[in-house]
Amino acid sequence: MQLQYTPEQQAFRAEVRAWMEAHVPKEPLVTLECREGYDQHVEWERTLASGNWGMVTWPEAYGGRGLDLIQWLIFEEEYFRAGGPNRANQNGIFLLGPTIMEFGTEEQKARFLTPMAKGEVIWAQAWSEPGAGSDMAAIQSKAVRDGDHYVITGQKTWSSRAAFADWGFGIFRTDPDSKRHKGLTFILFDMNSPGITRRPIRQLHGDTGFAELFFDEVRVPVENCLAGEGQGWNVAMATAGFERGLMLRSPGRFQATAKRLVELYRQHADHAAPSAREAVVQAWGAAQAYAYNTYAVAAKIMAGGKIGAEASLNKIFWSELDRSMHRTAMQLLGAAAELKRFDDGRINQWLEGYIFSLSGPIYAGSNEVQRNITAERLLGLPRVGAG
Amino acid sequence: MDFRFSEDQLTLAEGVRDYLTGTHGPEVLRRLDEAGPRDPAIWQGLVDMGLTGLLVPEEHGGLGMGLVEAALIAAECGRACLAEPLVDTAFVGVPWLLSQGQTDGLADVVAGTRKLAPAHAINPWVADGEGEALVSVDPLRQLTARPATVSDDPHLLNLGALMSAAQLVGLADAMLHQAVEYAKIRTQFGQPIGAFQGIKHQLASCSVAIEFAKPVVWRAAAAMQDGLDSAAAHVSHAKLAASDAAMLTAETAIQVHGAMGYTYEVDLHFWMKRSWALCGAWGDRAFHLKRIDEAVLGGSLPIGPEHTFA
Ligand SMILES: Cc1cc2nc3c(=O)[nH]c(=O)nc-3n(C[C@H](O)[C@H](O)[C@H](O)COP(=O)(O)OP(=O)(O)OC[C@H]3O[C@@H](n4cnc5c(N)ncnc54)[C@H](O)[C@@H]3O)c2cc1C
Repeated sequence: MQLQYTPEQQAFRAEVRAWMEAHVPKEPLVTLECREGYDQHVEWERTLASGNWGMVTWPEAYGGRGLDLIQWLIFEEEYFRAGGPNRANQNGIFLLGPTIMEFGTEEQKARFLTPMAKGEVIWAQAWSEPGAGSDMAAIQSKAVRDGDHYVITGQKTWSSRAAFADWGFGIFRTDPDSKRHKGLTFILFDMNSPGITRRPIRQLHGDTGFAELFFDEVRVPVENCLAGEGQGWNVAMATAGFERGLMLRSPGRFQATAKRLVELYRQHADHAAPSAREAVVQAWGAAQAYAYNTYAVAAKIMAGGKIGAEASLNKIFWSELDRSMHRTAMQLLGAAAELKRFDDGRINQWLEGYIFSLSGPIYAGSNEVQRNITAERLLGLPRVGAG
Repeated sequence: MDFRFSEDQLTLAEGVRDYLTGTHGPEVLRRLDEAGPRDPAIWQGLVDMGLTGLLVPEEHGGLGMGLVEAALIAAECGRACLAEPLVDTAFVGVPWLLSQGQTDGLADVVAGTRKLAPAHAINPWVADGEGEALVSVDPLRQLTARPATVSDDPHLLNLGALMSAAQLVGLADAMLHQAVEYAKIRTQFGQPIGAFQGIKHQLASCSVAIEFAKPVVWRAAAAMQDGLDSAAAHVSHAKLAASDAAMLTAETAIQVHGAMGYTYEVDLHFWMKRSWALCGAWGDRAFHLKRIDEAVLGGSLPIGPEHTFA
């Protein structure tokens, strides 16, 4: 246990800070969930790439800097300190990227990773279906082999940023006789392929953050399959592990929110309930706890360890923390909480954040499912009757 | 920057855990409850393992280790619901004496012939002291009235609070384990109760609370060991997180046990009562919340993503 940064780590922090201060947009971007905002966020991905900051942990050959996870955490801390925008390519860099790194062929790595790190290709995740949400093994969309192509037919839904994204990664049933977890294959596809129809879906806040995808005999070359036919479930579980365990929500995001919440509290202290005051203090504490835990996970991985089912604990923790921080902010704002813009014209980011925080316990595997996993795999409780 | 325990630290903690599991099981707690809560043979076993001298510098015959190791072992003491005053003597009393420059008699502490009963103004009692007896809800605690003059040194308070927090995460782990084991064997409606989601989800929530309290405790131990100015706030954070995790787990564990949990017969009560005691000891929830509040809202502690280890 050695909780000091080395001089090199401090120098790296200074380097990131200087770059972020010079480049992070002064005004918050328009929400990522609409065309205008999406374009702004993609522009930002390219700015990041111009500084070679797309994905610092990746090898230089793939557009990264070959840095370790502690440096990644420092990068993320500075990113959120500077108020860096949401990452338009989060599904690419945090989910698919690590998955390709683990399961992809050399050819796939060379083809997909660099454009991902550089923000040239934005990725959407196409797993959920109308009949397969929490129960992902109920996937029905199928991919039928035809020579050196798969022919995909079916429907995906809730695919974030799919209204605008360039490429998608999905899970499809390649063995028509298979059931449940077997016979699924992980396939990467060009979103502009003939036969794909995107139907944007309005989200709670009114913007079209995700989309439904209809596949009508979409032809995809077999070399776009990851880790071989029939391996889809295993690959997807690894992706979900990256999602929940470490990458998707780095602690800096929540520490920054907690800090803003402290500032908000100070402005509203004279009419705040004692319970709100405690909630603010607890928000700081929980964000810190999440950060310590992430540093511990990073150290474990750097020493050759893996994240297992404990990734579920992380997912529960950050999503419920995010919701409670924003709920507290809404309470502090009182009658102003409902305003989309405050009377001085500023966007009410707490309201946007609160709405988004309500999705945290649902996406990336609902928290009920995470509690099932925790109980069964970490605590060893029986699965019978899990429902 | 490496938020991991070293192999040596883990081996040490495992050794203590194995020893206590083997020699200090629930049957021992029941015996102590019947026959009197202190047992020289148990104490001698701890002395023989070198634990009384863990924090005593090597030139005084100890092992010269630090608060991080001590916190790890305190958690094991909590897990075993250890009754002997090892934590107060060796992990609170010794480092406090050292901080005062007092090294006389440390050899006796190492040898186990001298126990320390640190008294502090924050506690209305002294554990394993010498005054008039007070009765704790915890049948294995021996409390006495506080003497007229006691220390109000914040460093002593921080040591006591840190080590209470460490014991609390161990206690919580043990209570969760007992509830899980019971949920596997008790059947109702034709299945183990642990297969019901209503049980699973409550236990999973305890796991979340415990696993996110632990790193806060280790961080606080490191902050004290490294002598950070902010250590007091981190100790308070640890005490708050560990207390909340232990209280949640205690209430959940009794619920999972049903009426069995409400009996004196099921061992859970020893851990539950120790948790209640330590939650209030060395600064209660309100005290520690206020100290964090003063640091975070008062502005003395730098906060934000770039200040994770401030
Ligand atoms: C903002 C947002 C973005 C998303 N982005 C994507 C994306 O990019 N790509 C993608 O593929 N999907 C995406 N999703 C979909 C997401 O993965 C699913 O919503 C999630 O898997 C839950 O499935 P569902 O919505 O069908 O809910 P359901 O599975 O119908 O669940 C409804 C309720 O039942 C509970 N429940 C279900 N099963 C169990 C069980 N076994 N035990 C206890 N409770 C249970 C759930 O916890 C939930 O509370 C997104 C969702 C949201 C909200």
